[in-house]
Amino acid sequence: MIEFRKEYFADERDDNLNEIGKPTQRQDMLGHVTGRSPYFDDHLFDGLLHLKCLRSPHHHARIRSVDTSEAERMPGVKKVIRARDVPLNLNTLLSLMDFGLDDEPMLADKKVCYVGEPVVAVVAETERACFDAIAKIRVDYEVLPHVLDVEEAIKPGAPSVNPTYPTNTFLYHEKYDHQKLRFGDVEAALRQADHVVEGRYQMSPIEQAPTETCGAIAAPETNNRFVVYTSTQALFFSLGTAAKMLKVSSNRLHFIGGTVGGGFGGKVDSIHEPMAILGCMLTGKPVRYAWDREEEMQVGAPRGAERWYITDGVMNDGRIIARKFIGYFDSGAYTRLSSYAIIKGTGHLPGPYTIPNVSSDVYCVFTNRTPATAMRGFGITGVDFSIEAHMDKVASKIGMNPIELRILNSYRDGDMKAHRRLAKNTALIECCQVVAEKAKWKIGSEYKAMSSLKGGGGERALIPAHTAIDQKGMVRGSGTSSFGYQPQPYVPSTPTFPSTPAFPSVPAYTPAASSSPAPGAPERRPAENAPTPSSTYNPTPSQPATPVEQRPAVNRFSSISGLRRR
Amino acid sequence: MPMSVKTFAQVDEAARALAASRSARYLGGGTLIMRAVNYGDQSFDTIIRTTDPRLKQIAQQGDMLVIGAGITMSEVIANRETAFLAPVARTVGGPAIRNMATVGGNLFAASPYGDFTAALLALDARVVPAGGQPISLDEFLNARERNAGLVIVSVQIPRLRDVNAFRYVKVSRVKPKGIAVMSIAAVLPMQAGRLANARVAYGAMGPRPLRALAVERALEGRSLDEAGIAQALAVATEGVDPPSDPIASDWYRRQIAPVHLKRLLLGQRR
Repeated sequence: MIEFRKEYFADERDDNLNEIGKPTQRQDMLGHVTGRSPYFDDHLFDGLLHLKCLRSPHHHARIRSVDTSEAERMPGVKKVIRARDVPLNLNTLLSLMDFGLDDEPMLADKKVCYVGEPVVAVVAETERACFDAIAKIRVDYEVLPHVLDVEEAIKPGAPSVNPTYPTNTFLYHEKYDHQKLRFGDVEAALRQADHVVEGRYQMSPIEQAPTETCGAIAAPETNNRFVVYTSTQALFFSLGTAAKMLKVSSNRLHFIGGTVGGGFGGKVDSIHEPMAILGCMLTGKPVRYAWDREEEMQVGAPRGAERWYITDGVMNDGRIIARKFIGYFDSGAYTRLSSYAIIKGTGHLPGPYTIPNVSSDVYCVFTNRTPATAMRGFGITGVDFSIEAHMDKVASKIGMNPIELRILNSYRDGDMKAHRRLAKNTALIECCQVVAEKAKWKIGSEYKAMSSLKGGGGERALIPAHTAIDQKGMVRGSGTSSFGYQPQPYVPSTPTFPSTPAFPSVPAYTPAASSSPAPGAPERRPAENAPTPSSTYNPTPSQPATPVEQRPAVNRFSSISGLRRR
Repeated sequence: MPMSVKTFAQVDEAARALAASRSARYLGGGTLIMRAVNYGDQSFDTIIRTTDPRLKQIAQQGDMLVIGAGITMSEVIANRETAFLAPVARTVGGPAIRNMATVGGNLFAASPYGDFTAALLALDARVVPAGGQPISLDEFLNARERNAGLVIVSVQIPRLRDVNAFRYVKVSRVKPKGIAVMSIAAVLPMQAGRLANARVAYGAMGPRPLRALAVERALEGRSLDEAGIAQALAVATEGVDPPSDPIASDWYRRQIAPVHLKRLLLGQRR
């Protein structure tokens, strides 16, 4: 039963709109309830072939050799696909928005980085024939040490998971091993606070578990095109990704989607379409590549695990004057969307509260776990859980009513948020008031009288006069090489691909060997030395070897996401 | 290797064919074996099944209720003779699974499956293999791996003097049909207000359904009240070997076992 509290914000709302505020029947409802909605798997073709992958049984292993000779001779087997058969066997989803480096192969070549990573794909007349052939493939693995914990993964000497990011952290803004947020001077405020309250919170990965497992069917079409029926949630991501990895012009790909049997963020990764099309290209036949339930659960990218450390500086009257975050997102072995989730989450900090001093360091960490991706509100959910659990902890520590604590610290219309946007349409105070009323939780009359519309702005609209900044986590070599960006970015409008890959197979980033603790080991400026720039790195922004101005004119992700420097 | 299916009119023929092949599996309802087929299990290439009507019978024979091994959970629920087992059958999977899953197949289902078998164990059932003599379910389960080559024709359940003496609970996260955190089945015969020859069995508390022998001993001669069952609760986890799986950990299963055993024994509704 929905109850509308129309007394709130009545003058900010038009109740006579045609759609908003009115019940609307979903356009696909009739098809769903009558069982007529056509899903990707309802499009069957004569002579349809099936594709299945041989997957890594190890968290981390070097591939010494692969012997597919017996599998290729199995009855019904049409093609055994190896890494070398993939035209461009390295990609990252958000490369289409020039965010991040290509780091994930379609089929593993030199090593596997998580349990379930695909190594060989088999195309055969039946799924059974695929399974039987896969059972005959011999892979010689050299098992490597693995790391499954985010904080273990960024310690010096930890196994290096992802060859594109050898220090196990995503590179932000071509400079830092973490995403920074700095607003005011947290350390100074913590020293002035009456109480300092610390907390550690974490959230496990969550599988989206759609009823329809991920999959695609690709078939030859006239005019040298391919038609692709897919379960994707992101049709044009999938189209762009397929065009890039297969080095075909996107106008040769006819993608048909739109009916998704449950997605929840788990169908944006564009894993199936390129593989199905490649199978189709190599055999000339329609090819279906769909996960079974076990693959969906084990290999399907979940919402990633997060760990948060929160430190609050609180006054005796309940005002929170400082909040410091250290966050770790477990990206799994490759990037997918955790890097973006962190940008989104950082924009949300410090939660729906007005706190004059905020700092945050969030790390996108590579571990030998299943790559993590989107899921409903990802980037916000974990930290919001942490923030609200922490609010209760603060309330308990200083002996204050937890709802009153929230109302007291709530953001209000006109307040400056830590990411330097003015808050508007805030409603936390009203939510707290209604929750207290519904839960029969007593709050003081002064808190009942507060409003999101009153008391905001003014001083609270100002960006702090002094914001403490630092160079902690600056990555050696950044800003002076191509580590942070792609010299020849993918341009979707290019009709044909160059014969040589436009993407470096090995990133130009090379750790300085002289000071490395071990060959190939992470090269990171230790946090304790953070305030002192090292002699080998010049952080002065005016002297990069490759000036920012000379970079290709492409849409920076930061401008798309609304986080551009202002 | 292509999968072949061999169907026999007589259960004895099916049993002989199974015994003669090392790469054959017997299909009861198919809820486990067909999943293995779908996932490309390489350990077998032949499916053996039978249409023998003996496997589809439910009958009273003397002091025994005989349930054919091919009887599905749905049929257990629908049949009047097996009505006291309907609450057990209802906890096995959703409707689609219950329409396929059989009494015979459940005997071989690896933990944490096999709730129906736990109930049969408490009921002191015997299993009847094709071409052989009935063997007690305890004995059958203790050597289940060796018995994998047997084809079971039916199970025999001694007639309960008091149907109300049989109690069963399945603890699951999805109710009622989720995979078991644990299940408990008990037959609690009373003589002059005292328990006599109680049988208690657990599902999902070991690699196979098992008797809670210490609990049974502790209940002997006691009354079904807080004081009477105290000793039984104290030894509730004696002899168990619970799995740690995605449903629950070994530790968790041990912690909750006395709680659910207490509720079952005292007839407390949750």
